[in-house]
Amino acid sequence: MFRLTIRNVLVNTDPGTMFFMLGIPAFYLLVLGTMFQGLIPAFTINGVKTSYTTFLAPGIVGMQAFTAGNIGGGMLWADRRWGMFEQLLVGPFRRADYLLGIMLVAVFFSLAGSGIMMILAVFLDGAFNITIIGGLILVSMLVIGSIFFTSLFLIISVLVRTMNAYQTITFLLFFLLDFASTAFYPITPETPAALRLLSNFNPLSYIVNVVRDCMLYGVTYSTWASAGIITLLTAVFFYLSLVLYNNVHTGL
Amino acid sequence: MADSFDYAIEVVNLVKSYDGVRNAVDDVSFQIRPGEIYGLLGKNGAGKSTTIKTLTTLVPPTSGTATILGMDLRKKSSQIRKIIGVVQQEEAFDFATVERNFRIYGMLWEVPSDKVESRSEELMELFNLKEIRKRRAFELSGGQKKRLQVAREFIHDMQVLFLDEPTAGMDPIMRRSVLDFVMEKAKDGLTVLFTTQILEEADYVCDRIGIMDLGRKVAEGTSSQLKERFGSLKKLVLTTTERIPEESIPRVKEMLAAVPSVTQHEVSEREITVIGKNMGKTVYSILSSLSLLSIEIDQVNLDAPSLDDVFLEVVKK
Repeated sequence: MFRLTIRNVLVNTDPGTMFFMLGIPAFYLLVLGTMFQGLIPAFTINGVKTSYTTFLAPGIVGMQAFTAGNIGGGMLWADRRWGMFEQLLVGPFRRADYLLGIMLVAVFFSLAGSGIMMILAVFLDGAFNITIIGGLILVSMLVIGSIFFTSLFLIISVLVRTMNAYQTITFLLFFLLDFASTAFYPITPETPAALRLLSNFNPLSYIVNVVRDCMLYGVTYSTWASAGIITLLTAVFFYLSLVLYNNVHTGL
Repeated sequence: MADSFDYAIEVVNLVKSYDGVRNAVDDVSFQIRPGEIYGLLGKNGAGKSTTIKTLTTLVPPTSGTATILGMDLRKKSSQIRKIIGVVQQEEAFDFATVERNFRIYGMLWEVPSDKVESRSEELMELFNLKEIRKRRAFELSGGQKKRLQVAREFIHDMQVLFLDEPTAGMDPIMRRSVLDFVMEKAKDGLTVLFTTQILEEADYVCDRIGIMDLGRKVAEGTSSQLKERFGSLKKLVLTTTERIPEESIPRVKEMLAAVPSVTQHEVSEREITVIGKNMGKTVYSILSSLSLLSIEIDQVNLDAPSLDDVFLEVVKK
């Protein structure tokens, strides 16, 4: 399982994946964040005066769970497409090892990516006030979040057969989940009702809200509620992905 | 692992059905001794790949038993996978450069890194991959991908190797050097189950051959045993002094079809090929019939059947 995790890390450390995983979020944070800061004045949330880059940083950190899940879950699709899924299953591994290898690489990328984004955020905005409890919840949320998104992309990997369909779906999800979440914008009463609804049904919003609370505003009842919703959703999606994964036929 | 075993691979009445209606592998039995290269020959859809997929634990058998080095396929699949190597018919490689594919595969098989380095250099040299070592696997041509796939399998030690059409897409020189390499390994004790549609390959590399058709094993033996068994078959090749007139070709075919011992015939402008039994006796009547049709023969060749002829004969039956 650990060897498969290392393999998954090695095959995903190509420039393209690294750019997708780190380059794009770093661009959001450093370029978009800084540029929009000139347009968006500092605002107050939960009694804390917040600049746009400070607001954006936890969003970008939380997004790492989504990006890592996309890479992790997408591995099944790529391995099936390139024949490595069956090749690994005739090697010294069990089917469960393969799944765990995918989950672990997503968790690893999620934590490593968010760590890098946090360093960038500190470079931009100075240190964040993270408590021990907040830190623990933050890490747990990134782990659970990456498992959630890995499960989601595993489901897509199992159900989608063609490369075009897979790429279209992931591209759509990328835009829908990233930009219709609370990662980039706060959801306020002024937000149009349709977008508010979309954001409320967007799991990334809940992950980002937890991360933001842990990094900026402190852990409250709503933090636990968001964490609880994501944990529950993760359990459901993980179960579904497990059922579908077990039904992936080999040797056809 | 079992303490002792007579056969490296023992398959008894193996059946595999994907849909419960048609058997992709139908009651197949064979035994392969340690260090033996056993070839499975057959047309597309004959059941060769399904047999390999079943024996490599990728698909469960519907019924029957199989053991690899004495280990039951159903009970000890994890242990079996640790001692086998598999080159699948479908392409399989990591999304990385050629040399990284070797390193990753070595790491997966827990091969010490210094061994991975030395073996991958050796294999890249042998399989002519050195010049493309920095290229990504998905950018390679079909033959290069296949070379990488086969070479990479030898990065780890194994006791049984399954090769499912390993030379597909390779040029004849590379094909021969891959086969020689496999034969070398077999001399060192590696047991090989090999499938191919290239019959000269099987003739060259396999100690014994099993011919499959429609999921069943229809013949088995060494290449010479098979030729001997179907040895009454001979191939007669007649080269004409002049071009056979177009209008005479159907008449020649008609004449050949009427000879009871002829099983196959082919007539072209300059050559008449006849496969059949007791050709030594039949050749005279064919020659005199051709003479009646005013077709003069320049050269007569009567050959022993090739493995191709045996294969065609067996599959036709």
